[in-house]
Amino acid sequence: MDYYLSVATFAALNVILAIGLNLISGFCGQVSLGHAAFYGLGAYAAALASVAGVPFPLAILGGVLVAGVFGIVVGFAALRVREDFLAIVTMGVGFLFLGAVRKQPWLGAEMGIAKIPSPLDKWGYAALAIGAAVALVLLSLHVRRSWMGRAFGAVAQDEDAARTIGIDVAGYKIAAFFIGTAAAGLAGGIYAHMTQLIIPDTFNFIQSITILAMVVIGGIGSTYGVVAGAILLTLMPELFRFINDYKLLVYGALLLLVMRFSPGGLAGMIQRAFGVRLA
Amino acid sequence: MMLLAGERLSIAFGGVHAVEDVSLAVAEGELVGLIGPNGAGKTTLLRLLTGILAPDSGRVLFEGRDITRMPIHRRAQLGFALTHQIVRPFRDMTLAENVMMAAAGGVTARPWRALAKVDARGARERAMALLARLGIDDAADKLARNVPLGYLKRMQAARALALEPRLLLLDEPLAGLNAAEATRFADLIVELNAGGITILLVEHNLGEVTRIARRLLVLHNGSLLAEGEPRAVMARQDVRDAYLGEEAHA
Amino acid sequence: MYYVELLLVGLIWGCTYAMMALGLTLVYGLLRILHVAQATVFTLGAYIGLLAANHTGSLAAAFVTGALAAGALGPLIYRLVYQPILDRPPFVALVASIGVLVAMEDGFRLLFGPYGLSFENNVWFTTTYSFAGMTVNLVQVWMVVAAVLLLSAFAVFATRTRAGVAWRATVSDPAMAESFGISVTGVRYVNFLIASVLAGVAGVLVGLLNNLVEPGMGGVIAYKGLAIIVLGGLGSVPGTLAASLVLGVVESYGTVFLDKLLDRDAIAFLFLIVVLMIRPHGLLGAR
Repeated sequence: MDYYLSVATFAALNVILAIGLNLISGFCGQVSLGHAAFYGLGAYAAALASVAGVPFPLAILGGVLVAGVFGIVVGFAALRVREDFLAIVTMGVGFLFLGAVRKQPWLGAEMGIAKIPSPLDKWGYAALAIGAAVALVLLSLHVRRSWMGRAFGAVAQDEDAARTIGIDVAGYKIAAFFIGTAAAGLAGGIYAHMTQLIIPDTFNFIQSITILAMVVIGGIGSTYGVVAGAILLTLMPELFRFINDYKLLVYGALLLLVMRFSPGGLAGMIQRAFGVRLA
Repeated sequence: MMLLAGERLSIAFGGVHAVEDVSLAVAEGELVGLIGPNGAGKTTLLRLLTGILAPDSGRVLFEGRDITRMPIHRRAQLGFALTHQIVRPFRDMTLAENVMMAAAGGVTARPWRALAKVDARGARERAMALLARLGIDDAADKLARNVPLGYLKRMQAARALALEPRLLLLDEPLAGLNAAEATRFADLIVELNAGGITILLVEHNLGEVTRIARRLLVLHNGSLLAEGEPRAVMARQDVRDAYLGEEAHA
Repeated sequence: MYYVELLLVGLIWGCTYAMMALGLTLVYGLLRILHVAQATVFTLGAYIGLLAANHTGSLAAAFVTGALAAGALGPLIYRLVYQPILDRPPFVALVASIGVLVAMEDGFRLLFGPYGLSFENNVWFTTTYSFAGMTVNLVQVWMVVAAVLLLSAFAVFATRTRAGVAWRATVSDPAMAESFGISVTGVRYVNFLIASVLAGVAGVLVGLLNNLVEPGMGGVIAYKGLAIIVLGGLGSVPGTLAASLVLGVVESYGTVFLDKLLDRDAIAFLFLIVVLMIRPHGLLGAR
């Protein structure tokens, strides 16, 4: 039972991460290759707070806010550079986060932070993570239907045209980065308390690519598709034990094959097969 | 008071003066044409007025208020609309959705307010009315990427009108249209102006622009060469030389 | 003297970056693709070179086979991965490229083991020269020589040969070039061939320099290569070369002065981010 609970919890955390990235990259069109940095920021901030004796809910909130505030900073950077430049800058943000954490003794450097207090049992974390994931999915569906989602679409498709019709492009980009990175911070806070040990390498470039893989394989821009992608990629190595050794080989090959044959991901395939457009 | 004024605007690219010391003013209700041979600096001047470029020196005033450094979206919110020379639709939206985006200006002005609102019926009604007014409501639910240029040009005008602008800046609205389409579109511009919208248009089609504009500004080598009643301006020797010079070089 | 040595070390790394980044710039200039998968071309060159060197005992054989293997892989990636998706939005090619990199890195790990391989008889590594209180080994010397020779050869190719002129014409205006009878597809293959050979040679050199060839060795250099071409103004060859040397030197001094705060990779990307915030189009880019 414990095993299934922890798989379910990780699937939920991945849904949170992927939904957050999809808000930034799928809805608002801002490619980010550094999403794991915000996962890490949330984890480190919440862990430090908890270790210092801050109550659990406040520690989690702290992680959300720290990640979200740094997300706003990166959002401002996104105003200066576009598309290809932005992809490289966000990749750089990931390396900068990792390189900075690794050198800070007060963050445990390479050894990370251990003995993080854990106030919940396995059921508690599963309920928390799944509850948070469901809430984020609902938020994502709402954003898509709201005028914010429509404006994100305008920014993603042509930001100059969006400006000329009075859309505050900068404001929307920053909002997308804030919501998306705050969600990653939430996942980080839950992760840190559940595992009670965090190390820098958990939040490396490969982690960013894994989150991106979930979004892209599920279908960038589609909430249901992204949820499916996140759950599928979490379960795959578990269901097929032999894959675990070749996990990255399979991720990489899937990314390549999806881009080559169905850039719309699972959602795109469903749309082609059944003519239904997933939200 | 002038609705729009440029005061002593200058900008240089790599040491070359694209626009030098140009002042112009457009009064409320006017329909003004801005013409000039290729490379005269028309598009650059328009970009200075719209805020896509910031001038090296000089000011842009809207109703006497200095908007030189104001971001483009805030100008749009003030009632300062423009269309691009090359149409810029949101390609993966329908024509109706394109216009709705502009029609919902009050809602989308702030991201957090936009998050709270889902209802799109009002915006859709206004968008459909505008599409009908421009005669393209038959294609309202077609994706922008799938309709011909003539439709996109009119959609772009509808999108600008959805902002309920007081001032409309049109960058070569007739480019790419055939003669009949151009005449019809020019008539529409006159109609919009008669409806109370002040219009400044940059145009290459001299026949149409002299027909519809009530005043012409002629730009040459980045400076204002002539200004006045269209027929009088076009009769001036220096204006003819500017255009003929272009042909002699071509 | 210490600071001069740091400068020297930085310039040597800069030469390595230049060999990697030039190829990335060429691909970007022609196809607007951020060719992350160049990292696997680099790593393959290093592995094949190492296997050849350990088999034959000849470093010359290492360079020839490494360059050949890399030169074959790059155009193959173009044909199989990029060519079918050229008309899609730019992130599609980028994600596909990342997919190739991630999968191939894991492939190298499965084939050659996770800990990497070393050269059995790395004479260049053990041959050192001392002058003015500084010590360099022969790999470092060759690194600079190879970069200067190959980049000069490229410059001659681009400016003095018919193929080079065709290539430049295609970069600036593909439609026009095609109407003059230039085969755009051919130019693309040549482009990937040049980029890949440079990367392969750089791979063998870096393998010799560290006396280690491991699955992930290409990744970080390719990411920095991307940072460099962004710094250089995306698609600008002189900008890229300048940015390579500047980044090498910045890292070299940065690892000394910022050692307590950031690691080497973070310094490179911090520099990138700071420069882009001040000059959004790169060091030499137009405003």
